Amino acid sequence: MVVNEGSESEGIARLTLRGVVIGLVTPGIATVVTFPVAPASPEISIAFFMLAVVIAAVAGGLWGGLIAGILASTIRPLVVESPQLTFRFDTVEDVATGVVFLSVALVVGLLVGQASEDRARALRREREARFLGTLSSTLHTREIPDRVLDEFAEVLMEPFALSKVEIEATLDGTNVRAVAKSDGNVVGGPRVSVKLLAGETSIGTLVAERPAGSRPFSRDDQLLLEAATRQATAALDRARLDARARNAQLDAETNQLRAAMFSSVTHDLRTPLASIKAGVTSLLDVNVRHDPTQERELLTTILEETDRLNRLVGNLLDLARIRAGALTPNRQPAAMDEIVEIVLARMRPRLAGHTVTTEFPTTLPDVSVDPVQLDQVLTNLLENAGRHAPVGTEIHVSVRWMHDAVQVRIADEGPGIPLEERDRVFDAFYRGSSTPDTPGSGLGLAIAQAVVVAHGGRIWIDDAAQRGCVVAFEIPREEPQP
Amino acid sequence: MNRVLVVDDEPQIRRALRTSLEAHGYEVQAVGTGEEAVIGAAETAPELMLLDLGLPDLDGTEVIRRVRGFTDLPIIVLSVREAQHDKVAALDAGADDYVTKPFAMEELLARARAAMRRAQPGEPPAPSMRYGSLEVDLGRRLVTLDGDALRLTPTEYLLLEAFVTNPGKLLTHQWLLRKVWGQGYGTETTYLRTYVRALRKKLADDAQAPQLIVTEPGVGYRWIAEGSGGEA
Repeated sequence: MVVNEGSESEGIARLTLRGVVIGLVTPGIATVVTFPVAPASPEISIAFFMLAVVIAAVAGGLWGGLIAGILASTIRPLVVESPQLTFRFDTVEDVATGVVFLSVALVVGLLVGQASEDRARALRREREARFLGTLSSTLHTREIPDRVLDEFAEVLMEPFALSKVEIEATLDGTNVRAVAKSDGNVVGGPRVSVKLLAGETSIGTLVAERPAGSRPFSRDDQLLLEAATRQATAALDRARLDARARNAQLDAETNQLRAAMFSSVTHDLRTPLASIKAGVTSLLDVNVRHDPTQERELLTTILEETDRLNRLVGNLLDLARIRAGALTPNRQPAAMDEIVEIVLARMRPRLAGHTVTTEFPTTLPDVSVDPVQLDQVLTNLLENAGRHAPVGTEIHVSVRWMHDAVQVRIADEGPGIPLEERDRVFDAFYRGSSTPDTPGSGLGLAIAQAVVVAHGGRIWIDDAAQRGCVVAFEIPREEPQP
Repeated sequence: MNRVLVVDDEPQIRRALRTSLEAHGYEVQAVGTGEEAVIGAAETAPELMLLDLGLPDLDGTEVIRRVRGFTDLPIIVLSVREAQHDKVAALDAGADDYVTKPFAMEELLARARAAMRRAQPGEPPAPSMRYGSLEVDLGRRLVTLDGDALRLTPTEYLLLEAFVTNPGKLLTHQWLLRKVWGQGYGTETTYLRTYVRALRKKLADDAQAPQLIVTEPGVGYRWIAEGSGGEA
């Protein structure tokens, strides 16, 4: 839809072919109609000629009316007075009717012209309003400032019959540029530029161009383009503020998360220390006599808590090394199925409550990995599976060779991980929302990810066939090129 | 009474080890530096050295090298999990075993006993050893499983021989490669893995629940089966 069809040149006093034809035809008809009766009743002929002038002015505009008026004034005496068709224009009556005809033509022509121009303007306004309305709703649904400008440039093309729109703006110190172009147009046509105003200050410029040879930009075009640009600037501003608000919210969430992880680590470190200290001070207390069962119980607690503390410190140290960038794999050729077997052998007691099944290919090419680090990855993943999946369920470990990489999948029958948490579980200190009470530092997956990435691979949570969780990772055969 | 030389720069560890070891009937000498360790090993002729790798003066590996210059006494390295390289270097320098800190006392004592037993001159190993249903006759170069003779390649046999003649000892990749393939070898861990895998398969040892050969990732292998003298 083209909003503005160059209607400005369609003024009241415009001489059109249609007007001329109507101006010529209507007095002719009046002549033919009144010819037989005119000499007998000149009043009827005046009435008919008047009607012709009015019709010409209504249908043909001002010029149509005037032509008809002049013709009517000159023809009327020819048909009214005998002998007919003899030219004369000498009586006061002739002059008077002529003046009246022309006055009527002028008045009616002007009125009709005004009315039709009003109607045309109203129609245009309506179209402009509809265009701006659509524009506004389109632009306000865009959330990213850059997208607002792209969309805006695109949206202007058709209504303004443009070949190219170029917008350049500075937003919060960064330059944003949007260009829309239609193919196959000769450049160098009429151009117009509009400023993007935020309040009083200009934040950028819009340049619109039409194909070479098309009509120039009218004042209406310019005005409409300015109105549209104001809309776009408003939408842009809103998107910018929204983006800022979103960032602020994200920052707040990150801070909250950091605070949560800090308190979680503090808690995790203090808890075993508290148990150990309580146990030891109790055993050292000379005023208390523990029976052997109590003593054993206290000592068992101390041992368990020491192990727990050791695991946590180990994880924290790993994480610190990852953060310090000191996690360089000490690579050597190794077979992934062997590493899996070693880990499973070592973890047998801890996974005793689960049925562990394995699936290895008959032949598996070597990959260049750090066996100790990969051991750590598998240990962490299997520990998670053992911790989250109920006792008595199956833990399935499979190793596959795909696309020149070795892929390991560990599937458990635990509660699984909701889709929206699948990326975040790899964040350090993140603990799944569904299992807040399960012991664990929230570091296992973060460490596993860091190791896998250091090997040029990737790790992800996959869809489980039935229920539970599938953690998969992939290590490419070749070392990544630095 | 067995004399143990404890080398650790942390007084708390020295005290804990001294107390525990003395409670188990060992005579303990505890020192805090590498120099003292070398001197102690020479002068008091202990039967076991427990050596922490992180010493203030000498590197633990250097202590092992110097001590190995004059004695074959068993050395068990105490190290933290992170120091994987140091561990391998210490073993290649001549340490007998390692225990990761923090350790359980019973594990340390078990390793200590095993190391001291291996070091005892005692009687030469029986020509034929039985490990459950597996019998290894070094004299006749015959290996049988459930009474059936196993066909081992020469390399597999040499590897098995290296294992059964060093029971309980942590054998590094380098040590095994030099022992089985020859002095020019030391980094070809792929060969070693392939042969260990083949040997395990022939000996019917389940890698997920090993009864004979245990893999120490990144370090080496250990023959864990307790043998009994077979029919001579």
